[in-house]
Amino acid sequence: MADIKFSDAVIDTAGTVVNKCMGLEDAPCMSACPMSTDAKGYVNLIAEGKFEESLKLIREKLFLPNTLGRICAHPCEAKCRRGTEYGEPISIAALKRFAAERADDESLWDLTKADATGKRVAVVGAGPSGAQAAIELARSGHDVTILEKLDVVGGMMRVGIPEYRLPRNIIDHEYTYLTSLGVQFEFGVEVGKDVTLDSLREDYDAVILAHGAHKGSIVPVPGHDAEGVFSAADYLREISLTRSFPRAGKRIMVVGGGDVAMDCARSSWRIGAHAVVQCSLEDDETLPASEEEIREAKEEGVAFNAGWGPDEIYVENGRVTGIRIRRVLSVFDASGRFNPCYGDETKEFSVDTVIFATGQKVEDITSGALEQKQGGRYVVDANTLATSMENVFVAGDAAGTNIVIEAMAYGRKAGLSADRYLTGRTLDDGRDFSREFSYGTKLDVPIPEGTEDLPRLSPNLRDPRVRKRDFDECDTGFSDEQALKEASRCLKCECRLCMRECVMMNEFGSCPKDILDPLVNRGEMDPLLAYSCNGCDNCTIVCPHEFQLKKVFVGSRKDFVAANRGESPMKGHKVIKLHQLLGFSKFFTTKIRGRKK
Amino acid sequence: MADMVTKEKRYGFMPGCSLPSYNPEAVAKTIEFLNATFPHFSAVQKCCGKPTKAVGQYDLFKERFAGLQADMDDMGIEDMIVACQSCFLTLKEASSTPVTSLWALWPKIGFPDDLKGKAADSDIVFTIHDSCSTRYEEELQDGVRWIMDQLGYQVHESKHAKERTRCCGFGGMVVPVNPEIAQKVMVKRVETLEKENVVVYCAACRSSLLKGGAKAWHILDLIWGPVVNEGDDSPMDVLASPIKSWVNRYKAKRGIVHAMR
Ligand SMILES: Cc1cc2nc3c(=O)[nH]c(=O)nc-3n(C[C@H](O)[C@H](O)[C@H](O)COP(=O)(O)OP(=O)(O)OC[C@H]3O[C@@H](n4cnc5c(N)ncnc54)[C@H](O)[C@@H]3O)c2cc1C
Repeated sequence: MADIKFSDAVIDTAGTVVNKCMGLEDAPCMSACPMSTDAKGYVNLIAEGKFEESLKLIREKLFLPNTLGRICAHPCEAKCRRGTEYGEPISIAALKRFAAERADDESLWDLTKADATGKRVAVVGAGPSGAQAAIELARSGHDVTILEKLDVVGGMMRVGIPEYRLPRNIIDHEYTYLTSLGVQFEFGVEVGKDVTLDSLREDYDAVILAHGAHKGSIVPVPGHDAEGVFSAADYLREISLTRSFPRAGKRIMVVGGGDVAMDCARSSWRIGAHAVVQCSLEDDETLPASEEEIREAKEEGVAFNAGWGPDEIYVENGRVTGIRIRRVLSVFDASGRFNPCYGDETKEFSVDTVIFATGQKVEDITSGALEQKQGGRYVVDANTLATSMENVFVAGDAAGTNIVIEAMAYGRKAGLSADRYLTGRTLDDGRDFSREFSYGTKLDVPIPEGTEDLPRLSPNLRDPRVRKRDFDECDTGFSDEQALKEASRCLKCECRLCMRECVMMNEFGSCPKDILDPLVNRGEMDPLLAYSCNGCDNCTIVCPHEFQLKKVFVGSRKDFVAANRGESPMKGHKVIKLHQLLGFSKFFTTKIRGRKK
Repeated sequence: MADMVTKEKRYGFMPGCSLPSYNPEAVAKTIEFLNATFPHFSAVQKCCGKPTKAVGQYDLFKERFAGLQADMDDMGIEDMIVACQSCFLTLKEASSTPVTSLWALWPKIGFPDDLKGKAADSDIVFTIHDSCSTRYEEELQDGVRWIMDQLGYQVHESKHAKERTRCCGFGGMVVPVNPEIAQKVMVKRVETLEKENVVVYCAACRSSLLKGGAKAWHILDLIWGPVVNEGDDSPMDVLASPIKSWVNRYKAKRGIVHAMR
């Protein structure tokens, strides 16, 4: 057969299909995950009872499934179609915990590493971003040492997130993955004080700053410098490490409306508070804390004053004795700037302790060598996390992330960049930056026919009256039965609707985009593909874009014929040729004009 | 659909290819009936050329179709009645002569009195398999249902009927090229029909459904043939044998000549 020149109509139609077909688009949950964890995949493996396979799939991306299963802020759930459609997203994070509790085993941990490069990397901070960067680099064969100020691993997961949400033995166990990979730890080393960045740059080939945002902030209202006023960062760190905070009293006011504020309020009960009150500029509708955290705090008896801001802290003999809060009329002004506006209404509380959960900042550990911006975040290249110093990269909250899974994605990013730097490649070598964080998905398909609005499974929480007095975990996790039921709600978001209709396309690829890619990109098409289409249009009927694939498959046949001296290129069509000759032959045809009646 | 039915016009009828190869008697009876209905009537037996077009031989198709057009013109046909959905679409696109589907026509000319309600006592329930090539031709599909109702048969509408019908596996000249795929499509089609007994209005579809494991009748079998009851076997797959098919095709030609006398 001669070279085929496909007609414009065929190429144009195929081009549109390859461009717009949603067959290879990721589910919203997966694309929302900064680490691109295949949530749809592992949830469905749970639904099928394949717990170990589910866990393995999670571990392809995440080294701490049991930790994240408890505390991940789960951006996946915000995009879950069961959520956007019915307000009842799948409990993806909790299912991850289930898979980890049910099936994780050190024997499943992937410890493969590239050959040793002899390059040494220092990672500052043992939080999730530092850990992920270390993993990435150790796997690439580099010699990695994590320098950590504290004596424990986990970063804010350890000294921010309270124990009743995340038992410490889980963090410790999951971090042994790093030691197994050969990552070294040096505890009790504060970079910037015990050792300088300059000396690290001398002693190591590359440095990753992953020291988080640990500097608490205190709003300068009158009385803010009294004894009994603390930042959330200091408060939670001490409680995390010692299960107590001797400098606090018994009546606690927590200022702030985010998850950190909830952690402070709920931790207060556990160290023996008698009364816990909250206030925040944001009102009930706009509280930034997650719904679960708010509900659980309320169950434990935290008194909410959402929409009230701190006005003055009352002080006697240098100690806090109370606080006055004032009604907030608006938080942002007409131009959208943060500019709270207060009314006349006020309330007073007799408290002995005020905790400011109003944001954490990044401490500078470079002695001003690297530029910082709002919140102390370092100025970095958004794609590579490189800094103005050629062997220094920044990861995690120090570079602007806000939650663990984002910090991990930045850890991976910084690790990938450092690896390229260490091996003499350009930083963007072979990378698709868009896949190194959350990304958009084009997937937009109708809800499957017959889908029922099934409710999300609530977590199994201990009695609030009991749990608020100890540090044991609040949530006891799903049973097998619950997990199967919850996982089965997944809508398995994908398009590929045509592939369920068409038999033949399944023999040639995974979706039209996949199948027509060679035609569009190389001008090639298997004639068997073109000649296997029944031209029935069942693909078109179900396609959200109503693509007429027939126009490509059946439409290209005349191009095949033109390239084959006027004949079909398919051997089997000899039969048709004969058939047609007979069908038009005198012997089998006739024409008769009826008589006049 | 062409103009309203009017007895002033000269109608023509062509049975197509698969129908005469399958059931020449039904072709003859249909022609007798139409010839008695219309004062001015002609009959043609020839292929419309769809297979030539489907393999991609457009120039050859044009040439062949011109032959059919010449026959129609020669016979003075002003409106061509067809029993095959591929003929319907091919003529609609390529012919200067208006085309009418036999199935859409029938409700307009009325059903023969002696056949009305003939199957009223039958216990069989048929699923209708619509031809996928005419999935958007509602009038034609409604006509088939009207005929089933006139005959008195019970009908079950499957989820994949009318616009949502599925391919029988025969279309696109796939069978001689990729028989394994075609067979899979046939089985899949039968699986989605919900009932075992199927009525079709395309003889090629009938053959495919038999290959897919269903029992299938052509609607002309039900009109001109004996009443069918639950448990009856459907007619054999004549089209599976090329010899029988061509013998039948020849018989149909003779039958047409006879019926037009
Ligand atoms: C109270 C609280 C609750 C939170 N709850 C959640 C939650 O439920 N879900 C969620 O996804 N996210 C939560 N977050 C956010 C999350 O904890 C952080 O985004 C994440 O831990 C940041 O990771 P990182 O590795 O960048 O920094 P970090 O986790 O902060 O780790 C930095 C590490 O560096 C060490 N370090 C600091 N300075 C130095 C130095 N100079 N030298 C050596 N070591 C140093 C620190 O001790 C720490 O171990 C919460 C944060 C807080 C404060």
